[in-house]
Amino acid sequence: MVLSLFGARLIQLQGLDPKAYAAKANAESLVTVPLPATRGEITDRNGVPLAETVAGMMIVADPLRTRPHAEAIARILADRLHLDYFDVLDGLMKQAPPGKPDIRFAYIARRVPATLATATVAAVTNAGFQGIETRPDPLRNYPAHDVAANLLGFLNSDGVPLAGLEQTFNRRLAGKDGTETYEVGGGNRIPLGENTETAPVNGRNLTLTIDRDVQFYAQRVLRTAVQGSHATSGAAIAIDTKTGEILALADYPSYDANDPGASPASDRGSRALSDVYEPGSVEKVLTTSSLIDAGKVTPLTRIRVPHQLPVLNRVIHDYFQHPTLRLTLAGVIAKSSNIGTVLAARQFTHSQLWNYLDAFGLGHRTDVGMPNESTGVLPALDSWTELTQATIAFGQGVAVNALQMATAVNAVANGGELITPSLIKGSATTATGTVVGTDQATRRRVISAAAATAEARMMEGVTTLGAGTAPGAGIAGYRVAGKTGTAQEVGKTCGCYDGSLDVSFGGFAPADNPRFTVYVVIKNPVHSASGGGTAGPVFRQILNYLLQKYSVPPTNTPPANLPVFW
Amino acid sequence: MSSLLSPARGTRLPRTAASAVERARLALVPVRVSRAPRAPFAALVLAILGAGMVGLLMFNTHMQQGAFYATSLQNRADALTAREQSLQMQLDQLRDPQHLAAAGRQLGMVAPATPAFVDLATGKILGKPTPATPTDGIRVTPLPAGLPSPLRPKPIIVRVLAPTTAATTTQTGTHTATGTGHASTNTGTTTGRNGAATPAHGAHR
Repeated sequence: MVLSLFGARLIQLQGLDPKAYAAKANAESLVTVPLPATRGEITDRNGVPLAETVAGMMIVADPLRTRPHAEAIARILADRLHLDYFDVLDGLMKQAPPGKPDIRFAYIARRVPATLATATVAAVTNAGFQGIETRPDPLRNYPAHDVAANLLGFLNSDGVPLAGLEQTFNRRLAGKDGTETYEVGGGNRIPLGENTETAPVNGRNLTLTIDRDVQFYAQRVLRTAVQGSHATSGAAIAIDTKTGEILALADYPSYDANDPGASPASDRGSRALSDVYEPGSVEKVLTTSSLIDAGKVTPLTRIRVPHQLPVLNRVIHDYFQHPTLRLTLAGVIAKSSNIGTVLAARQFTHSQLWNYLDAFGLGHRTDVGMPNESTGVLPALDSWTELTQATIAFGQGVAVNALQMATAVNAVANGGELITPSLIKGSATTATGTVVGTDQATRRRVISAAAATAEARMMEGVTTLGAGTAPGAGIAGYRVAGKTGTAQEVGKTCGCYDGSLDVSFGGFAPADNPRFTVYVVIKNPVHSASGGGTAGPVFRQILNYLLQKYSVPPTNTPPANLPVFW
Repeated sequence: MSSLLSPARGTRLPRTAASAVERARLALVPVRVSRAPRAPFAALVLAILGAGMVGLLMFNTHMQQGAFYATSLQNRADALTAREQSLQMQLDQLRDPQHLAAAGRQLGMVAPATPAFVDLATGKILGKPTPATPTDGIRVTPLPAGLPSPLRPKPIIVRVLAPTTAATTTQTGTHTATGTGHASTNTGTTTGRNGAATPAHGAHR
């Protein structure tokens, strides 16, 4: 009797449209939750996170319910979350324009650490108010804010990377989301219930060659200098001479990667890689070291430098007024004489100079993995005239980005062997499929080791008191090789030299056994700007910090002290 | 029975046969009705059933308890993970070079201008130890932001007549009257922040 009742019920359940019942049951109890893949960290060379993903929460309000008690709720929220009381009040009282449906959702705070968010909402609830709740908001956190922000890039509120390494290496960092479906009853998971899971594949970490401390220091020194000289922008690069690893790549203006919207879009990229400019006198390092390598000159070659030099229809001057000077080649570098460099470079044919500059990497992307890198301009050989060669010899009429120039100077520091620079430790694949990183770094000889040593000895004169243009760039007790640069800048509107300047300084230390190469460029400084006076101190401070941090003692060898005059 | 046997003494054989026949006659075996009691069996079945039910119930309850416990443990684990991350974030904030630099600055520290080292093995000093001076300091905090626009009123531009001399009054009089004369060219320089521009600005050229 009872069995037949069960049987009847069974037939009713199983025989008559069982699928509808099953679907109904599933809708009631089956829950599918996404299992978000954790985005990989970006760390510096020592494993310190520069970008990390943490479990955060957003606090949202239902204005319809919060409006009646907005003041009281706002007081609790503003106190606990350190928010502006009136901003919170605005959110809590948000009202739709007349005729529109009521607003039921307003952000109060985003990227709040989970514990703080939960405690805050609990406090609001305990006070007897409703309408405030939390939602998961996995947040990308940049613990050091603006440090390396121009390199790292950032994510928008939907988690889509919009700039920098976050964008280039998104495929590696992002991973793949999974899902999990399970049955619940009364908020609890039903044991032995239906359960399917697609495990998420977490993103892989990315390790940079950047040293966070050096990067921070370089950014602050650069900011101080750019603001002090009322310049428009600046870049500073520090490279490990022997490996080509970029230890710091600072840009100013910069932005806070945790709040990219607060800064203009133009400040969020890396100007060190995207902007091209004429390198000016730092380029003389490349010209003269090439001449030495080709055996055309030695550091002691005597050059008679007139007060001006007509070339074709133009007249070349030095930056300082002088009568005819009798300078050695070392003196030409120490005093940064354009005329002396042009005269020395006349021993090259166009193609010889072009080949050397091409080998130094001018006009070639460095491809370190950053988006929007510019190529720079090394004019095609067939367009060269005597004037082209003359101006290019001292760094006008050729355009580079800051990293290209730093790499070229580093080739001189590294005994004449150019190492392609790297920003990524190991190797990683960019969005365009190029594999980059320290594993991919290549070396090629540009000038002989002897030529590089001779050039370094000449560059020591620049930082020597009494001889060179930038004694302020020297470090007491160390042999520092450097070169100043001041270049006219092509104006944005007229396409001609409009009187604005770029000042720069490149060099390395210790000169007889180089460990670090530092290159600094400051654009459009206003006050009494010069490569030695404006960029030189930045160079010295960054180099000084590197020597301290990496415990590089002075080599205690006598300085070169090459004669400047003859 | 003995009365039956005694007359049979003469006719021994037939009597014997008769008794054999008598004995050989089939008779109905009395039905042996099993009177084993049903109650224990029913009780047993019921007990098994009951035990099964109770066991199942307990099993289910236990599983449910387990699920509750698992959920509460999971919640606790989540809370602890969140707490760990919050603490990690705090630690990151404290280890932030910006924080350290600002704290050092607060104590009046500046980065040394010259590297110098002590070789612990030999006690020798490497490099030239030089005391740092305030000029070696760098600014670690950003410059203060400018005032927001509501607090930065536009400069009030006061157009005044050019200071005139007797000789020029008659010549330029018509120009200045129309407000297009050179007297108005100094508008860009009158940037009175508090708006207290006075006619004296006209003399600032």
